[in-house]
This record gives sequence, C-alpha cells and structure tokens, in this order.
Amino acid sequence: MECYSEQIVSIFVDGELGVEEAGRLRDHLSACQRCRQLLDALRAENRALSESLQELPEEAASPAGFPRLRWSLAWGDVAVVAAVLALTSIVAFWIDELSIPEALQWLNPFSASGSTNLFFNLSYYFAHGGSAMVVDYAAVVGKILLVLLLAGSALLLGRRWRVRQLGLRLLIVLLAWSLPGFALERRHSDFVTVRANETVDDTLLAAGNIVRVEGVVNGDLLAFGGTVEVGGTVKGDLVSFAKRTVVSGTVEGNIYDFSNSLDLDGQLGHSIYGLVQSLRVNDQGHVGNGMVVAAGDVSIEGEVHRSVTMFAGNADVSGSIGRELTMTGDSLTLTNTSRIGGNLSARVRDLTNVHIADGATIVGTRDIQVRARESHFRRPRFYFFQAVWLAAAMLVGWLGLVLFPGFFQASTQAVSSGWRSLWLGLGVLAGVPVAIILIAITLVGLPASLMLLAMYLVAIYLAKIWVGAFLGQILLKPAGAAKSDWLMGLLVGLLILTVVGFIPYLGGLVHLGVVCLGLGAFAWQLYRVSRPAITT
Amino acid sequence: MDAKKNNAKGSQPSEGKATQMEGPDLETVIQRAQGHDAEALGEIYRLYVRRVFGLCRYMLDSRESAEDATSEVFLKLQRSIESYDGSTPFPRWLLRVTGNQCIDALRRRKRGRRVIVEVEEGVAVTDAASQEPSPLGAVLSTEERAQVRDAIAGLPENYRVPLVLRYYGELSYDEIAQQLGLKRDYVAVLIFRAKQELRRKLGHGSK
Repeated sequence: MECYSEQIVSIFVDGELGVEEAGRLRDHLSACQRCRQLLDALRAENRALSESLQELPEEAASPAGFPRLRWSLAWGDVAVVAAVLALTSIVAFWIDELSIPEALQWLNPFSASGSTNLFFNLSYYFAHGGSAMVVDYAAVVGKILLVLLLAGSALLLGRRWRVRQLGLRLLIVLLAWSLPGFALERRHSDFVTVRANETVDDTLLAAGNIVRVEGVVNGDLLAFGGTVEVGGTVKGDLVSFAKRTVVSGTVEGNIYDFSNSLDLDGQLGHSIYGLVQSLRVNDQGHVGNGMVVAAGDVSIEGEVHRSVTMFAGNADVSGSIGRELTMTGDSLTLTNTSRIGGNLSARVRDLTNVHIADGATIVGTRDIQVRARESHFRRPRFYFFQAVWLAAAMLVGWLGLVLFPGFFQASTQAVSSGWRSLWLGLGVLAGVPVAIILIAITLVGLPASLMLLAMYLVAIYLAKIWVGAFLGQILLKPAGAAKSDWLMGLLVGLLILTVVGFIPYLGGLVHLGVVCLGLGAFAWQLYRVSRPAITT
Repeated sequence: MDAKKNNAKGSQPSEGKATQMEGPDLETVIQRAQGHDAEALGEIYRLYVRRVFGLCRYMLDSRESAEDATSEVFLKLQRSIESYDGSTPFPRWLLRVTGNQCIDALRRRKRGRRVIVEVEEGVAVTDAASQEPSPLGAVLSTEERAQVRDAIAGLPENYRVPLVLRYYGELSYDEIAQQLGLKRDYVAVLIFRAKQELRRKLGHGSK
C-alpha cells in the first residue's frame, strides 16, 4: 500500500482532511508503522507551535503596556468637546444676538453682491501672490505648533497616553476660555458711532453698516461693516473687515485690514498688514512702522517710516519710504517726488512696466528682476531656511507620530485613495473659509470661527507632511510599518515635494494638489475616527 | 489573564479554547455587551485583550501597529458584537474578527492589494518526506519556545500570516482562506510550507 504524503498527513493532523479521505488515511495508519510515526511527529510539532505561540513575547506580557480601554476615554473627550461647544455657543449668543445681517450683506457669500465681491477679490489675491500669503500664514502656524509640540514632548517621555489625554483636554479648555476671555464691548446697529467726546475703555467690537469712531477707543477696535471710519483715536490695533476702511484720525497700534479698500489719511503708530483690493496712503498719511500687504493697487503718497513689502498688481509711489521697498507684482511707478531710504527690489513680469522717474531718490541699491525664481537659488540663506523648514516638518511629523501614531499613519494611508482625497480636500479647502465667515457672522460666533480658522491653517501645514510621508512610502516600499520607515519616507517625500515646488507654474499646481490631497485625507480620517463614537 | 494557559495543553488546537472561560458567566457578559453595557464590554476587554493583542503582534510587524489594531478591534466590537450569534465559541469569533482587522491593516499598507497573492506553481505539492526528526518534535524548553517565536516572526508574510491564524488564532483552513481571499488548498500549502521553512530555520539555528 502506498504511503500518504507528509502534506496530506499534516492536513489530517490539523483536522482539515475531507471525511472520506480521512477515513482511508485512518485505515492506512492502522497498517503502516512509518505513517503512524509521521503522524505522531506532526502532532508533536503542532503542539510545540501552539505552545510557543501562546506564550506571548515578553513585550506583550506586561499589562501596563497594553493600550487602554479607548472607548471610555473617547467618551470623556466627547463630553469635554460637547461642554466646550455648549460653552462657546452661550458665549457666542452673548457676543451677538445674530441680528446684523443687513450691514454685513456684502460679506455674506450667498448674497449676490457678496459672492461677486468674494469671487473677484479671492481670484485676484490668488493670482497675485495671495496663495503665497496663505502658505506663509500656515508656516507661522507651523512654527507655533512646533514650539507647543517641543514643550509637550519634554513631558512626554514615559506616560505618553496620560499626557496626551491631559494635554488634549487642557488645550481644548484653554482655547475655549482664552478666546472670549478678553474684555470686550460690543455694539451693533446700522450706524455705530463713538462720538467725539466719548471714550471706550475696552476693546470695541463693532458691527454695522457704518462704523464711525470720532472719539477714543482705548483698546483694540474690531470692526465689521460696510464702511469703517476712524476719525478719532484707536489706542490699540484696528482689525477691519469692511468694504471700505478710512483712517483719517490716529491708530496707535497696527492695522490688520481685510477690505475692499483702505485709505490712510491720518497717523498710524505701527504697521499695516492687509489683504485689500486697493490701498492708499494719502499725502497726509503717516505710517510709523512698515507695511506688509497683498493688494490690487497700492498708492503711497504719504510717508512710511520703515520698509514696505507688497504683492501688488500696480504700485505707485510718490511719497517717501524710510527703508527698503520690496515689491512683487505687475507694475511699479516711482515719481519725481518719491524717496526710498533703503534698497529697492522688485520682481515683475515685464521690465517695461517699471517706471522710475529721474528725480526719484533711491538711497540704496536697485534690484529689479523679471523672474522671481532665479534669485532664490543663489543665496545660501535660502538653502539654510529650506533645511530648517524641512527639519521642522520632520520634527512635527515625528511628534505627531509619537502622539497620535494610529491617526498619522492612517492619514498617510488615506492619501492613497487619490481622487476621493483630492476632491474632498478641494471641498474642504474652499468650503472651510466660507464656513468660517458664515459662522463668524450668523451661526455660532467669533470664537468658534477663530478655532476653526486655527484648525484649518494647522491642517494645511500638516497636509504636506502626510502627502510627503505617503510619497516616500510609495518610493521606498518599506517592509514594515515601523516609525523609522514612516519618517524615512517622510524625509524623502518632503525633499521631492520641496524640489518640485520650485518648478515654475507646475510647482504651484503641485502645491495646491498636495494641500488638497492632505486635507482630504485628514478630513476622511477625522470622519472615520468620529464614526464609531457617534453611532453607539 | 491566565486564561490562555490551560488550553495550550489540548492536543488538537482546533478543539478546546472556547471552553476556557466560565461558560454561563461569559454568555451573560456577552449578552450584556450586546445591549451596550459599557461594563460588560470592559470585562470582555480585560478577558481577551492579551489574546487579541498577541494575534495582532504576530501578524503585524510593529508593536505600534499591533496596539492600533487591538484598539480598533475593541472599538469596533461595540457595534460588531451585536452580530455575534453564538454559533462559534466567542474567543474564536473574536480572533476571526481580529484576523480580519490585521489583514485590513496589512492590505492598507499594500495600498489595497491583496496580502498574499496566489502563485500559479504554488498548488503543486513538493513533498520532501522528512526522515530526520523535526526540531519541533520534542517538548520544548522556555528558551526554545522563544526561539520558535523568533523564527515565526522572521517568516515571510505569506507564511507567517496563515501559520499564526491557524496555530494562534485557531481558525479553520476555510476561515483563513476566506479572510485572505485564497483557495482552501492553497492555504493548506502555505501552512505546510511555513512549517517546513520553520523547521529549516530552527534546524540551522539551534543545531
């Protein structure tokens, strides 16, 4: 009688052989000594395998090392978030009883005039370097994040889970409390006026069709409206979201302006930071510090004490700038009366669009270049900062991986879904700003929208990290899913993305794609994580 | 916690295991868990987390991913336990769920491709009728068992995954085949080859 193969006997030992064949094998076994021995050996082998496997590796043997019961903690977080949301909405009602839509129609993206305004402004800014500003903002947020994470990581060694929970809650609570924490006076009606003999001691939040300050505001002025006029004095900063902003009085701090137009006739103590359609510093206007703006048209007839940096379609300078003028855009005109106390550097598309009158005074050097990109690569500083940026991104990636290993790896994987991530990301990228504006105006209020804005910028920063890690994984194809593989992939991916980012035109598109992909993956992952907690 | 100890003695791993927990107690705990009793879910977690983690640890190659997969399993258990109908012993059912979770994790890493791809020539059985005694044949010391574990951890994924599902997770060939999307016969081949490879490794390593 012919003996059975070892594999068949092995399957029999596993109890997986078909009934008939098993019967035949049993018959054979009773007659065959050799096969019986094989059977015993295979049984012993199975036993040894099971026994060996049942003893878990020593790392698994210590109960302290186990992941904690996640749902109870997840519920804790849900409770905290719910409490914070409730708190925020109460605060939001306190800030505003939602009765100011009339004055802010132009800001409402769903109204006819609002949408055209928004569309033209946004497209103009993005066409003229506005996207670079968004990226800059994201970089600043990244730096803040980095500092926070660095401080946190010092505490992390050891009990990471506890710290993570604690840190998360602390952060949420801090965010919730700090935002409405500052003293605030609110006013809203069609006409908000601070009369000439009136003094507001706190920060003033004003919303109205016309916001006019003739008196004195001792804190900051946060103004939303059709027209914002400061004829009196604002001792703090002016933050303006308005169709038109006119400063003929004095602002002692900075002006942060997001308006269609900003006219400065009066005195400004510090700087202007703005995203505006048209910016004018009239001949009476005086800026105590400098300017950083992205604008369609910039006209400087008055005096800016320090340097000016602008992304502008058209820039006309007939006044005086104390230090450097740095400009990127389409056309630049310096008249006979203009004076620049430092260097002039301009990046324009066409040299014929640069007009510098003979009488113009430029104390420093003139550096006018047609192609903006070339100059970067010649400076060692540029490489240094790129390296710093890369190191910071790696560090953020590493800390993210230590703090939220599952989430970070899963977000990286979620990038792989390609179109889903891309479209979702595009939706998030475009939709969240609309949501931020809507929430700020109508729904829950300013604190919620500021939190959302912070999250949005953080996510834009992180997007590149996830996509970079994913790209690296595709290229390196690591055998494992260890942290070091992920980080190595991140390094390679970020290097590639950084290099590709410098290709003219294509680089910008790639950058946009990367942000969309990463945001999409993030959003999808958030959705996935939140799902089980919501359904049960 | 020491629940897994006693069943390791069973000669046929395909039987046993399920009866290790206090039968009626376990049943009531599961019923309570199906009614979303958080305490009962916690009880199940305490009873099985080590076994679940063990399977994840053997199937995935880093501690972090094993921890993540373990958390996922218990997180999903809140819902999936409703679908448990008692037709298979609970530990085995839970390990099947765990196996699926790990295979999902492996698949994600391969960006959606199958974890193990059936190779055409694979079904033909090479029968090296081993005359020499298997190094796994005798009763093993603690140290030797650790060596076996190391050798298993060093197996390529297509051997390791079915082997672990079979001898740790105690799933049947059919269940493994279903999870991996392979034919049953091919699973048998893989497990057989895994054992041969293991013998080869241990034969070289220890002697």
